Amino acid sequence: MKKELPMVLATIAALSVLLSQYFFAINQLGWLDSLDKVYNMMAALAIGLGLVNLTVVHSGYIRRKREHWWASVVLLVCLWGYTVLSLVLGNDHAFVDWFYQHLIVPADSTLYGMVSFFITVAAYRVFRVRTLEATILLASAVFVLLGTAPIGDVIVPGWSTARQWILDVPNTGGMRGIIIGTYLGAWATALRVMLGLERAHLGGAG
Amino acid sequence: MTFLAQAGVLGIFVEGNFAPFVMMLLFTIIVYVMIQRARAGLKIPEIRKLAGLDALDEAIGRATEMGRPVFTFPGLAGVTNPQTLAYFGLLGHVAKRSAQYDTRLIAGNVDPYVYPISEEIVRQAYLEAGRPDAFNPDDVRFVAYDQFPATAAILGIYRRERPAATILYGAFWAESMILVENAAQIGAISIGATANTHQMPFFVAGCDYALIGEEMYAASAYVSKEPVLTGTVVGQDWARIGVFALIIVGTILAQVQTTNWLKTILGK
Repeated sequence: MKKELPMVLATIAALSVLLSQYFFAINQLGWLDSLDKVYNMMAALAIGLGLVNLTVVHSGYIRRKREHWWASVVLLVCLWGYTVLSLVLGNDHAFVDWFYQHLIVPADSTLYGMVSFFITVAAYRVFRVRTLEATILLASAVFVLLGTAPIGDVIVPGWSTARQWILDVPNTGGMRGIIIGTYLGAWATALRVMLGLERAHLGGAG
Repeated sequence: MTFLAQAGVLGIFVEGNFAPFVMMLLFTIIVYVMIQRARAGLKIPEIRKLAGLDALDEAIGRATEMGRPVFTFPGLAGVTNPQTLAYFGLLGHVAKRSAQYDTRLIAGNVDPYVYPISEEIVRQAYLEAGRPDAFNPDDVRFVAYDQFPATAAILGIYRRERPAATILYGAFWAESMILVENAAQIGAISIGATANTHQMPFFVAGCDYALIGEEMYAASAYVSKEPVLTGTVVGQDWARIGVFALIIVGTILAQVQTTNWLKTILGK
């Protein structure tokens, strides 16, 4: 019963969402909105669980004085401090917003900025010519890179047009092929869940 | 099509969703036939080898030999994303193997929905492996509910716990490259899988093993070797052949006709 009931509920919810997408009359019943509300309510509860988990894990680090335990203190102060501030003052309060705009946004941007460096390192590793595929990858990457830079058209007029052709034709074609396969795979997975063949999300080794 | 419109059939459907419904129905029938064949014990075609999934045991075995943990992460998407559902199938297998090999498993989570499900999957897997005592709930972690805070938290786990194997399996965005490169820097074997097309090149470039597109959805069928589940993957392959045939017919029609009836039908 522990697994069967959630499975039946999941199948009913999945079918109602699916049929709402296709059939006009069912679409007008507004089930999608109701299910969205249920989903949001459950998500709010789940966030509470996440808070508890973070607190328990990092309190344990502090108690055991593990390496970098002070970072856990910072995390818990920020986590609960910001939670209390938001609850007391409200999410739209200027003080709460200041923290977000001046601490979280710059930190986010910093991490995002690091991506370019990691891409460079990864590109170096992957572009070492070891196989035929790596050679083709390297050749097309250099071609597109030079075609994107102004120097491409200076070296050979029309280089940027050829570069655009690579992006628009072979690249887009290959990508669309992958996307078609992806959607079929996603549907097969959804079907397995709806038919109760895939039960991993209900717990266990699948 | 005109007949269907006159009969009022198209009015039943949300506009533009008649053709997708028929396609979905056909695909469902193909998958159902394959499932029934598998259930009846009839022969179904084998699915091709997937190096990334074959490497799972090797990665866990390596972590066992080195005495270091295995780290899994489902990306940023929630439970409504099929990629996350595929991850759940994989997580159960990884958790069970980790329990059998007595290797520590750390499962990171971003989505508050995914987190309790992950915990339950890992708990059950340890139970099924006969090692419920080895399950540590603190190793299934809610890292953060945002992209880059979660990335920073995972990098912290990489540096502190130094996992020997990292399994990134799900929907990823800009954080993918940071996670993959940092895994390489700590000497971890990395398996990456995503159906997010913009992140596939990064996984292919940075991971030791990469699963792209529909490959990742085959995880539960592939690792369980369950014929019925395998049947669904075979059905998916047959449907893909059908779509490929449609593309060829459509391309030919587009070249020889001014009005492409196939395009008209699929647009209904």
